Amino acid sequence: MGEGPLVLQIFLVVAVLAIAAMLFVVLYGARTPLPQSVVNDAGYRIRKIWLGLVLFVAVVAFAITLPFFPYPWAKASPGAQHFTVTAAQYAFVMPSVIPANVPIVFDVTSQDVNHGFGIYAPDGNLFAQVQAMPDYINHLPIEFHVKGHYTVRCLEFCGIGHAYMHGGFDVR
Amino acid sequence: MKIMWTYIVAGLTIFGLMLLVGIGLRASQAGWLPIDTGTFYSLLSLHGVGMITAMAIAGLGLLWYLVDREIKLDERVALLAFAFFAIGVLSVIVSVVFGHFGALWTMLYPLPFVGTTWPAWATGAWLMGVALVMLGFMLICAQLLGAILRQYGGLGSALGVDYVFRRKAFEAAGKHPPKPQIFAATVVSIDGLIGGASGLLVGIAMIAHLLDPHVAIDPLWAKNLTYQFGHTFANLTMYMAVAGIYVALPICTKREYHSSVPLAVAWWGTLVFVIIAYFHHLYMDFVQWPIVQYIGEISSYLAAVPVVVVTVFGGLMLIHRSGMKWTLGSMFFFAGMVGWIVGGSAAILDATIPLNVDLHNTLWVPAHFHTYLLEGVLLFILGWVFVALEQRAGSASNAVVRWIVGLGIFGGGAIFLIPFYVAGAAGVPRRYAVEPAPGPFWAGIATIGALLVLVGVLAALVEGIRLARKPALSVSQ
Repeated sequence: MGEGPLVLQIFLVVAVLAIAAMLFVVLYGARTPLPQSVVNDAGYRIRKIWLGLVLFVAVVAFAITLPFFPYPWAKASPGAQHFTVTAAQYAFVMPSVIPANVPIVFDVTSQDVNHGFGIYAPDGNLFAQVQAMPDYINHLPIEFHVKGHYTVRCLEFCGIGHAYMHGGFDVR
Repeated sequence: MKIMWTYIVAGLTIFGLMLLVGIGLRASQAGWLPIDTGTFYSLLSLHGVGMITAMAIAGLGLLWYLVDREIKLDERVALLAFAFFAIGVLSVIVSVVFGHFGALWTMLYPLPFVGTTWPAWATGAWLMGVALVMLGFMLICAQLLGAILRQYGGLGSALGVDYVFRRKAFEAAGKHPPKPQIFAATVVSIDGLIGGASGLLVGIAMIAHLLDPHVAIDPLWAKNLTYQFGHTFANLTMYMAVAGIYVALPICTKREYHSSVPLAVAWWGTLVFVIIAYFHHLYMDFVQWPIVQYIGEISSYLAAVPVVVVTVFGGLMLIHRSGMKWTLGSMFFFAGMVGWIVGGSAAILDATIPLNVDLHNTLWVPAHFHTYLLEGVLLFILGWVFVALEQRAGSASNAVVRWIVGLGIFGGGAIFLIPFYVAGAAGVPRRYAVEPAPGPFWAGIATIGALLVLVGVLAALVEGIRLARKPALSVSQ
């Protein structure tokens, strides 16, 4: 939640490292060519290690992120206060005040097309979101620890008024 | 060659036109070009479907030619498919230009039917146009798959199953595994038919709803099929173009790219992960079965393994200390691999569920797929074109031209793409005709970058025409 700037930093580091590594591989020793068999012998050895490393990172990343998946909490949020949010072209019907520091569940649906219920914190960062779908109710569990005004923007293209579909609530 | 050039020239022409549309859209978001909201979304619809179709047509031309070199294909089928593409594109243009359709290329049900500002016939023309493009795509996929299955005597042989599991007996019998480009064609064909079928199914359901509004469609079912089709179709444009690496890079490096057990297994992985990774588009639909959300994340991660461990790694091994000359063709191929890795890294971050909460439907999404398409798929296509032209003419472009093209397409590309990432990380929503801050500032920077890309593309076009007009090198030379 609100981790966009951190994700950007991670991405920039990964991108710069990847570009540097690829440039190094193609530029290193470029003026002294080697037979393909020599390159292959070393390359295949490195590739085995590289495969192990990539698989390890993939599995570890999956395992690390598992506890942070929102779905188990969407089903079981005992004692949480429920608030209904109904989206329709081009407005949200929702409470104007939400209590701070207590478990909340937004029960989000739509009267017409798909919308996105995107909550922006007072500092402007995207804090949480869930889709608002016709015929379905998505349960978004959340708890607000920072008081102030939260802006809600539509985060699924819903028609000509999409960019103007916003609202908000105060957390007190 | 005639079919290949017809497809590639058509694809690149559509790309050029859609590039102009895209520049206009970013300039509008920057507040530099007055475009009313309805027109903005009509143009965005055209830009989205146009770019994907452009890459698919060019990529299919390349893939069709590579298969045709190994197994003779009937040109009439490719021409029939091209007619489907042409009529489909025309129908989409009519829908947008005359009907002002604006539900975007994802056209999530029931959006094309609710609160619309365009007539019902425009929705019909759009759906028919996309369906015809999909039929053309599936026709080529069916032709390629049929030819490959006949040639190799079944799917198992075409995918190298015997070669992987009974290698000694396989090689003792004097057999050879399919060439790498055949693996690419087999996987693109199978996944293309599955993705195309999903698209046609939801498209037919929506046409039925258009004709009779009492026909009910489940929005979650429609969303799954729409993204299964959309993600697969967009993703496969890369795998079509990637086939060019296996043939063109050996020409550039004067080395050989053989099929191997890791390559075969990597393509098996791609075959599976490309069709199920689409679940990551529905992470924010909490009513979706949780199990498929978990599958979405792990399959998105694993889809990257064949790329970074086999194809790109193998491409870099080919170039490493080969004495390869940096021509426009080889430059495009190397830069395309860089773009693929960078765009793929951004996609993997977005496919990580706890991070997707911060990135879903922000400008981060167009950030990664513009990187993937502009600095990946397009560069592989251009790389193929220039390697072919350089081989034919027996000469390459001079350093000044390479610098102009490189600075325009790679440098301008970076200036165009970075604003998408920065604004996306700041939570600016995608598909906003009028963006909240800091969107407009970054849209201005992106517009400048896109104009530089246009300069690079025009320089490449002029250079391509110059090379094409040179007399062909005779065989003895």
